[in-house]
Amino acid sequence: MSETETHPGRTTTIVAWLVVIFLQVPVLVVMLAAFSTTSYLTIPPQGWTLQWFGKVLSDPGYLSAIRMSLILAFGSTILSLLLGTAAAYAIHRKTVPGAEAITAFLMAPLVLPSVVIGVAMLQFYSLTGLRGSLFGLMMAHVVITVPYTVRAALTGLAGVDIALEEAARVLGASGFEAFRLVTLPLIKPGLVAGALFAFITSLDNVPVTIFLVGANQTTLPVMIFSSVEMGIDPSVAAVSTLLIVATGIILVLAERRAGFHRFV
Amino acid sequence: MISRRQGLLLIAPLGLVLAGFFLVPALMLLPTSLREYSPGTGFVPNVWTVENYLRIITDDYYREVIWRTLGLGLFVTLACLVMGYPLAYLIARGPVRWQVPLILLVVFPMLLNLVVRSFGWIALLANRGLVNNLLVDLGIISTPLKLMFNLTGLMIGLTHIYLPFMVLMLVGAIRNVPRDVEAAAATLGSSRLHVFTAVTLPLSAPGILAGSILVFVLTISALVTPRMLGGPTYKVMATLIYDEFMQLLDWSSGSALSFTLSAMAIGVIWLSSRITRRWAGMA
Repeated sequence: MSETETHPGRTTTIVAWLVVIFLQVPVLVVMLAAFSTTSYLTIPPQGWTLQWFGKVLSDPGYLSAIRMSLILAFGSTILSLLLGTAAAYAIHRKTVPGAEAITAFLMAPLVLPSVVIGVAMLQFYSLTGLRGSLFGLMMAHVVITVPYTVRAALTGLAGVDIALEEAARVLGASGFEAFRLVTLPLIKPGLVAGALFAFITSLDNVPVTIFLVGANQTTLPVMIFSSVEMGIDPSVAAVSTLLIVATGIILVLAERRAGFHRFV
Repeated sequence: MISRRQGLLLIAPLGLVLAGFFLVPALMLLPTSLREYSPGTGFVPNVWTVENYLRIITDDYYREVIWRTLGLGLFVTLACLVMGYPLAYLIARGPVRWQVPLILLVVFPMLLNLVVRSFGWIALLANRGLVNNLLVDLGIISTPLKLMFNLTGLMIGLTHIYLPFMVLMLVGAIRNVPRDVEAAAATLGSSRLHVFTAVTLPLSAPGILAGSILVFVLTISALVTPRMLGGPTYKVMATLIYDEFMQLLDWSSGSALSFTLSAMAIGVIWLSSRITRRWAGMA
């Protein structure tokens, strides 16, 4: 009897599945719109076409925005993984005083509203001439992604016994070798999950990026955002579908490789 | 062991990046917020004023936007709680084989681009959107309902965007409730509902609080979804800041609003950490 009482009942299960469906609805709608011949959406679609995908993939504006987004996402993920892991290592080994305050500082970009970070950088970049530059955008994306890599590295390091690395040192490994050969493999799954969050945060970002992009180079989400302001066009649905598929593939790969669901 | 010098060398690169590209830019908004702006000419030289902050408190329009933002935060948080709890419960306590697929179905929309999700809601909620077309075709309504550019649209969209965060926080909280205690209450004759209200709900309260704070802060800070579903006229604080900086070019008002929004977000987080500490003290 006690077993059944602590399991979800039928009503709970039905409500829960309805909520799951609610979560997927806009995603499905966007994908249907992308394949529909009409420029507005009907259910069922009146005809199927691939023309909107063709339009997106032959549009130099979209292609350069996609390239820009990928450069930023890869660049900022790698940078914040390197910077974040190094900093987390120093914090974890308690080499620097005030570890708690430093950690809070590294997490601060997560606490402040994105739009505030965006306008602060807009003013700063306008004064320093960095507005619209790739370097400026890259640094902005490092700032917004770094909390994820720091947290992933700190969580990972907390689960590693320091004695393991010390044993490696006793056996003749240098400090970096000991880290690379002993600690790094142990914290790798956590780092992969953190890097994935960082990558998606960068790829997704509008509220900071929109203030910093130049006139002739923009990122994909900022471009979609601006074109929706002008009016809806099915090519927006097509490019969104490409993003949906890419996100799905990343998620499945992360789940297979690192058991992603354990880190959320 | 690594020395203090090595430690500083490891931490310095990130520290410098954050100081230069986050701390300094944020602090530089402070003097801007104390300047007087006149349209067309920019800052009035040698004038320092708190007028920009006073206006936020006294101006009817600003006050309306602030109340709307806070109300939206509250509504969305409640909606996420009510919708998120059953799903979190199913993930934490339901059949094991459903666990991973359900978590992935929750995480997938969370990882998906915000702009894409908001676009999906536009396709659904617009005057000629899917929902209105369907209702008209079924003969339930004759003229389209106004589902966008108002509170309804923002609530639906933002609830969808932040629901996954709430679910994930609640899953952790429910998993931490010892099953033995639930089973004991059931064995002693509690109904399913009573087990829930007397045991599961209070014991998952820290998670409920953490999830609510997260969703509330994210909602009052949101820019993209309110802009896309609210349009240029139905404003919340973040979209107002956007317009002050990008359209009106009144950076002084925009900076004062930025500090107000940040203070609200940080204040809520600070308050919740005090409550959590008090709870921990009672246990």
